[in-house]
Amino acid sequence: MASGRALKAVLIDLSGTLHIEDTAVPGAQDALSRLRQASVAIKFVTNTTKESKKNLLERLQRLNFDLKEKEIFTSLSAARTLLEKTKHRPLLLVEDSALEDFAGIDTSEPNAVVIGLAPDHFDYQTMNKAFRLILDGAPLFAIHKARYYKRKDGLALGPGPFVTALEYATDCKASVVGKPEKTFFTQALADLGCSPDEAVMIGDDARDDVGGAQSTGMLGILVRTGKYRQGDENKINPPPHMTCDTFPDAVEHILKNLL
Amino acid sequence: MADTGWTSCATSLKGVILDMCGVLYDSGEGDGVAIPGSVEAVRRLKASDLKLRFCTNETQAVREKFVAKLQRLGFDICISEVFSPAPAAVAVLRERGLRPHLLVYDALMPEFDGVDKSNPNCVVIGDAAEKFSYANMNEAFRVLIGLEKPTLFSLGKGKYYKETDGLKLDVGVYMKALEYACDVEAEVIGKPSATFFLSVLNDMALQPHEVMMIGDDLVNDVGGAQQVGMKGVQVRTGKYRPSDQQHPTVTADGTADHLAQAVDMILSRRGKP
Repeated sequence: MASGRALKAVLIDLSGTLHIEDTAVPGAQDALSRLRQASVAIKFVTNTTKESKKNLLERLQRLNFDLKEKEIFTSLSAARTLLEKTKHRPLLLVEDSALEDFAGIDTSEPNAVVIGLAPDHFDYQTMNKAFRLILDGAPLFAIHKARYYKRKDGLALGPGPFVTALEYATDCKASVVGKPEKTFFTQALADLGCSPDEAVMIGDDARDDVGGAQSTGMLGILVRTGKYRQGDENKINPPPHMTCDTFPDAVEHILKNLL
Repeated sequence: MADTGWTSCATSLKGVILDMCGVLYDSGEGDGVAIPGSVEAVRRLKASDLKLRFCTNETQAVREKFVAKLQRLGFDICISEVFSPAPAAVAVLRERGLRPHLLVYDALMPEFDGVDKSNPNCVVIGDAAEKFSYANMNEAFRVLIGLEKPTLFSLGKGKYYKETDGLKLDVGVYMKALEYACDVEAEVIGKPSATFFLSVLNDMALQPHEVMMIGDDLVNDVGGAQQVGMKGVQVRTGKYRPSDQQHPTVTADGTADHLAQAVDMILSRRGKP
């Protein structure tokens, strides 16, 4: 976005940007309030495969953030939006805690496979069921393709390996719906009535947040909290519009220079 | 129709390697069924001056079990003639002093009886079927990711196979999952790996160009054999599909309707009974 173009929306990542586990980034609540006083739309965007919007909302409210459920857009929301558009009836391989984000979606006689992180569903029988559906022509939608994640008891397999497994078995390519996919960002902006060049994304993940947003045509601001590691800003080309120490610094930059 | 061009090499042939499932028999309820003419074809090969071995990617049973099954179907076959991935894996583990974490079918475990499995420094996966749960996959993943240099062995790399109640995911699919998770490439033991075929040739004391492989799997049987310099002939039984004839990378040296026809063509060309 060239200077002089009006900024209409700010997309904000959650974990690592507003909070780290159960602790808010210092000053993040106040910074959010200041941003709300400016005339910009706000949306909270996150890659999650098991937490429903309601779960996320409750956690943020406990940390005294001021936000509403309808302002949250997740990779699960993106999957839902896609299913509504294509009118597919999915076999949902997601954890039960994520199912409420798919309430009302017809899942009878499935003709699509949606795969998130679902340890309880990744048994041989269910994988075979998904495999046969895909061989019969059902599209494969992946919430995201993370290799593994950190659990209290150690590292654990993410959805990526199981998505890759089904891709290999069926010679097909999954459509990924979460960050850093372009469609994720354009869907997040859809009901705000603004185009990518009128929006800015703030996040701690250089590739998924900043890189993804910028290749959609938005500006990206990288924050040095959460999963940020020194030198992350050099991992993407073009580099971030801006790298700030924390979320409050990013808000300060927006209020001073982008409005 | 049978093409006969490939039989010109039959005169200089000294040995034959046969795939088992889809060539000798079709799997299914109980022991499955012998493919018509195959029992007699094996008998004729044994009566000839050709050396004969059997080569399978079977990893759901120990060799004793599936050799006994073939004997019940009428085949003249014994354990020492059969090569399968598990014993080959045991040999590799011994040679390299590796202690495996095993994710294999329960019935295959006895093949690894004498192998030290304490404090594992590699992972071996086979077609574990129902044992491919998230918990078991995660356990294998954690062993791998905890190693300085993750070493993964896969007993074959098939995508899927057919059972009476439909298609089932094969070991290759789970191999890919672990490869992706740990950013490693698995070492495949069994067909189509060159090492596997070379170990069979070594046992026969023959050179690759003296031996012909006959199988129903274009990539694993025919392609694997050709890659070490053997001739590869495909039979139109088992998992053969007409689309195999337009395969982008593998072309069989010859084809036959079934094993009986292939053996008949070879032996009559050699002019011996």
